[in-house]
Amino acid sequence: MDFELPGEDHPKRKGVRAWFEANPQPSGQDLAEAGYVVPHWPKPWGLGADPELQLIIDEEMKRAGVVPPRNPVAINNCAQSLLTHGTDAQRQRLLPPALSGEETWCMLFSEPAGGSDLGALRTVARRDGDHYIVKGHKIWTSLAHKANVGVLVARTQPDLPKHQGLSEFLIDMDSPGLTVRPIIDMSGDENEYNEVFFDEVRVPADRLLGKEGEGWALSMTQLQTERVALSKPGAIWGSGPSARELVEGLAEIGALSDGALRDEAGDIYIEGEILRLLAWRALSDRMNARTPGPEGAIRKMLAAPHGQRVVDLAKRAQGARGLIAGEQPFPSQLGGKGTFEDWDYAFWFSPAVTLGVGTQEILKNVVAERVLGLPREADPTVRVPWSETRGKAG
Amino acid sequence: MDFALSEDNLVLQQSARTFLEKEISLARVLVPGATVDDADYAGNWTKIAAMGWQGLVIEEAFGGLGLSCIDLAMILGEMGRTLAPSPFLGTLFGAWALQKGGTQEQKERILPQVADGAAKLALAVAESNGTTDSPGREAVARKQAGTHHLITGVRSFVIDAAVADWLVVAAVDEASGRRAFFLVDAKQEAVQADLLPWRDVTRQVCDVRFKNAVAEPLAVDDATLWPWLRDRILFALAAENAAGVQRVLEMTVDYAKERTAFGRPIGANQAIKHALADMLGLAECSTTAMLYAAWALSEDDGRASLAAAMAKAYSSDAYVSATHRSVQIFGAIGFTWEMKNHLYFKRARANAELFGNARAHRSRVMDMVEKKAA
Repeated sequence: MDFELPGEDHPKRKGVRAWFEANPQPSGQDLAEAGYVVPHWPKPWGLGADPELQLIIDEEMKRAGVVPPRNPVAINNCAQSLLTHGTDAQRQRLLPPALSGEETWCMLFSEPAGGSDLGALRTVARRDGDHYIVKGHKIWTSLAHKANVGVLVARTQPDLPKHQGLSEFLIDMDSPGLTVRPIIDMSGDENEYNEVFFDEVRVPADRLLGKEGEGWALSMTQLQTERVALSKPGAIWGSGPSARELVEGLAEIGALSDGALRDEAGDIYIEGEILRLLAWRALSDRMNARTPGPEGAIRKMLAAPHGQRVVDLAKRAQGARGLIAGEQPFPSQLGGKGTFEDWDYAFWFSPAVTLGVGTQEILKNVVAERVLGLPREADPTVRVPWSETRGKAG
Repeated sequence: MDFALSEDNLVLQQSARTFLEKEISLARVLVPGATVDDADYAGNWTKIAAMGWQGLVIEEAFGGLGLSCIDLAMILGEMGRTLAPSPFLGTLFGAWALQKGGTQEQKERILPQVADGAAKLALAVAESNGTTDSPGREAVARKQAGTHHLITGVRSFVIDAAVADWLVVAAVDEASGRRAFFLVDAKQEAVQADLLPWRDVTRQVCDVRFKNAVAEPLAVDDATLWPWLRDRILFALAAENAAGVQRVLEMTVDYAKERTAFGRPIGANQAIKHALADMLGLAECSTTAMLYAAWALSEDDGRASLAAAMAKAYSSDAYVSATHRSVQIFGAIGFTWEMKNHLYFKRARANAELFGNARAHRSRVMDMVEKKAA
C-alpha cells in the first residue's frame, strides 16, 4: 500500500512539462491536437494515457496556467461514444470542434415525465424517409442556450418496453422547430438550465448514433463516464471551492476563533480530505487494473452533501451580510462572477447538487441495491410496452 | 502509487479473521448480568498470544516481528470486528511506549517477554477527567537516591492494567514540574489496579493507585515520546472503530434482508435502505482515513499526526452513529442484552471518549492546518 502521488521527478512528467514550455499559450485546437484534452482516449484523439499520466497532465496544465477547452458534455460524458458507436463521417464532422471547444454540446435527456426515471421519457422520433421527425419536450438541459450540438435521447419504438425503444441522435441545435427557453433558477443568476421544445424537428438519419434501440445503453454509459478529474474536489460537482479553501478563507476573516464554527470547519475539512483519498483510491484501482470498488458510487453519494456543507458554512460565516446579493465571504478568493468559483453564487446554486445527475435519494437506492444487495425498487412499468403504460405510471 | 492492500496484508487479515471467528466467543457476555469477568480475558489471551500478535510491532532485535502499522491494522481491525476481549490493546500501547522511550536495558529486559507472550503491559496516562495531553498533577514522581523514583497518585481509565505485569506510567516529575514516563512493576504492593464498572464489558478499564510505587524512568522525554505514542494510539483506536463500523453494517444489512414485515424484507423500505447506504459511507470513509494514517505512520511521513487525528475524529463519530442506527434498524430486539448490538454500541462510545474525543481531535486538526498555512 502506498499513498504517494506521482512526484516532481516522475518520468512521465518531463515530456508534458516540455510541451507546455514550448507552447506557452496553446489554443483549444493546439491542446486537442496534442491529445491533452482527452488524454485517456486512444490516438489520434488522445494519448491512450493511463490515469497517472492523466493526473500529471492535469497538474502540468494547471502549473502552466492553461485553461483547457470547456465543453463538458462532449469531453466528460458523450463524445467518447462516437469512438465505439459513431460513423467516420460523424467523428470527422463533430469531434474536432467538440474537443477544441469551438463547439459546445448539451445533453437532451431529462423530461418533465422522466428525470430520475429517464426510461419513462416521451419525446418521439418518427422515421420519415432519410430523416427522423422529433416531437417532444426536454427539461433541465444545461448549456442548451449556448450549444451547437445536442445529444438527444428519444423514443423510436413506442411498442417496446420503456428502456428498449430508445435511440440517441446528435442534432444541430439551430434546427428549425427547436426552441430553447431558459429556466431561471432560485439563484436568480444567468440560467444554468433550459427547457427545449421540439415541434416536428427534422433530423437527418445519418445523425443517429449507433443503431435504433441502443439509446438506453448509450445514455447510461455516458452518465457514468467520469474522466479522472481529481486535482480539486470542489463543492459543486467537483468544480468550485473545496473544504481546504473554506478553511483558508475562514482563517483569513478570523472566523475560526468561534469554537462552534471551528469545530464544524474541522469536521468539513476532514470529510473533504477523506473524499480526496477516496478519489485517489479510485484512480489507483484504475492504474493497477483492479476492478473499481464501490468507491465511485459512494463518493458521489457523499460528495454532493459535503459540497453543500462547504458553501453553507462560508455563507453563515458572513452573517447578515451574506444576504446581500453578490457579497463574497473571503476577500482574497474572488472567483469569476457567475461561475462555481464564485462563493456567493455557489451557495445559492448548491441546492441543485443533490438533485442534478441523479437525486440523492436515487443515488442512495443505487448504493443500497447494487453495493449492499438490498431488494430492488419495484417498477411495474418495466416489462410492459411503453405505449400501454403511457399516461398511467409514466 | 497503489492505495490497495498488498496480497500479504490480505492473507494476514484473512488468517486473523478465520482464527478469531473460530476461537473467540462472546456468548458468555451476552448473558444478562454479565460483566467483563465473564469475557474470558485470560483464556482468549492464551490463544491470541499463541498466534504471536503481541510481537507484531516489536522490533526483531527484541524478539518481535518488526512489522508495520499497515500489518497491524489488519490484526487490530479483526480484533475490533469481533470485540475479542483480551489485554491485546494495553499490551500494544505499553510495548510501543517502551520501544520508543525505554532504555536499551529496559527494552532488552521486557520486550522479549512481551513478544513471547510471557508478560503483559498497560499504559497509564489519563487524568481523572480523561485528559492525556496535559501534564496533570494527579500522579507525582519523586526522585530517590540511585536511579529510581517513587510514584504516588492515580492514573485513570487505564486499559488492561488489572492483568498487566508492567505498567508504563506518565507522572509529573516533582523536580522539573514536567511530565515524564516510567516503567513500573505492576505486581508490587504499592500498585493497586481497580476494575471500573465499565459499560463496555468486552474490555477491562481500571483506575490505578500508586503509593510510593518504585518506578524507573524511561530514556526519552515526554515531548519526544508522547506525540509519537499518541499518534499510534489514535490510529489503533481508529482501526478498531473502522472495522467495527464495517461489521455492524454487515450485521445490520443481513438482518434487513432476513427480517420481513408487511410481506417483504424490511430492507426493501427506503427509510432502511438509505440509513444503510449512509452507514456504508461511514464505513468506507473510516477505513480510508485509517489506512491513510497507517501508511503515514509506517513511512514516518510528516502528515502522520494529521492523518491519525483525522482518522480518530472521523471514525469515532462514525462508529457512534452506525451503532445507534444498527439498534434502531434491528428494532426492539436490538435493544436487548442477548444481542450483540449493544456491545458494539458501547465499544463505540468508549473508543470515542478515550484519548480525546472527536471534537478535541478536530480542534487539533485545525491547529495543524492553521500552522501549516501560517
